[in-house]
Amino acid sequence: MAQNKLRVLILDDEPIVCKRLKPSLEKLGFEVDTFTRSFEAMQAVEQARYDIIVTDLKMEGMDGMRFLQEAKKLHPETEVIVITGFATMETAKESFKKGVFDFIAKPFNLNEIQKVVLRAADKIKGAAG
Amino acid sequence: MRILFAGDEQPYSAYALKEAAKLAMNTWADMTLLGIQPGGGGAAAVDPALNLALTRYRESFLNAWEGEGSPYAMANWQYEWIPLKEGVLEEKLVCRGSKKDFKVRLRQGNVAAGILAEAREEGADLIVLGCSRGGGSQWAGAPGVPQKVAADADCSVLLVKEEQPITRILACLDQTHVSQSSLEILNQMVTLHGAQLEVIGLNPEGGLKKEVYTRLIEVGDYYQERNIKVTTRLTEIADFESFISQETQQDLLALWMGKKSLLQRFFPRDWVGRFVAKSQTSVMVMR
Repeated sequence: MAQNKLRVLILDDEPIVCKRLKPSLEKLGFEVDTFTRSFEAMQAVEQARYDIIVTDLKMEGMDGMRFLQEAKKLHPETEVIVITGFATMETAKESFKKGVFDFIAKPFNLNEIQKVVLRAADKIKGAAG
Repeated sequence: MRILFAGDEQPYSAYALKEAAKLAMNTWADMTLLGIQPGGGGAAAVDPALNLALTRYRESFLNAWEGEGSPYAMANWQYEWIPLKEGVLEEKLVCRGSKKDFKVRLRQGNVAAGILAEAREEGADLIVLGCSRGGGSQWAGAPGVPQKVAADADCSVLLVKEEQPITRILACLDQTHVSQSSLEILNQMVTLHGAQLEVIGLNPEGGLKKEVYTRLIEVGDYYQERNIKVTTRLTEIADFESFISQETQQDLLALWMGKKSLLQRFFPRDWVGRFVAKSQTSVMVMR
């Protein structure tokens, strides 16, 4: 059963965001790993394929834009959802150019992110037939 | 992020819409434009002035996007069941925004209660509304609406008093709990305006309150870690009202509000309303 679970990676340098998101997505049946440092998240992406990535943009070290670009290079079929506390029109447009599934500005409520992740999951399942 | 803009047909609502549109352009927020028609429910005709205002707000909001790439561009046509009256639904062809949700809604009844109900039911993260400038801060024909919405909303509220550039955000803090959402909404406003951020600790009379000082340091550190230029200072809570009327001329006044706020104890009667009315410029109440 566990093998059928979609894998979600959450990357946000604010632990409180990971702490809120992880149980809310697990409740929906996803297998969730959380990271607060982008280089650790990158290592995880290099070692395993995640179906969905939820990433912040503004972080120390490798920022979210670079991270999503690298992750997409490794696994083009992974759906990426950007969450950011410092949104600009440029970052939104750039994110979509890089192929993100959705762009969500903070603050958001859990219901909002759950809906987007479920839509991404539907797309993945639809593509898999 | 979901923004609820509530507007009437007065000029201050047009200013508020511009502010909401700018924020939406940055954040690609889900967006609702709400009009409230005072009076009873039922199938009463839509007030022509309010109808015209909402039409203008819709056009103005959607036209704010130059060229292609609007997340609200109407692209997704689908049949949906729309309630007509209790027990009756009709299937209608509906067009949704390509990436983000955009709605125009009308409620009937009490204005403040309607705005608060819409925000609660839709899970809004921010309510944006305009109000007349300076002492009073009124909505035409509906007394106390901005004050009531600011005081009673579950989410943050931005009251836009006029069209002016915001170069500084004065964020006032007591020892009350600072929520993650409030920090985030402040981040978005700082980003939107490229504004300087000044965090002001409100200290009760008679010595330094440790909790206020600690919270001030925590918030200052939070912004410094994110490379946001921030200055901090302390002011006596007793001087707060005069501080608001003297210092907030070209700024956005941002108030952290919590249930255990010192301000609530110090100014027990409708303190939010008092400060909202006192401020000459726009006010954001953060939750």
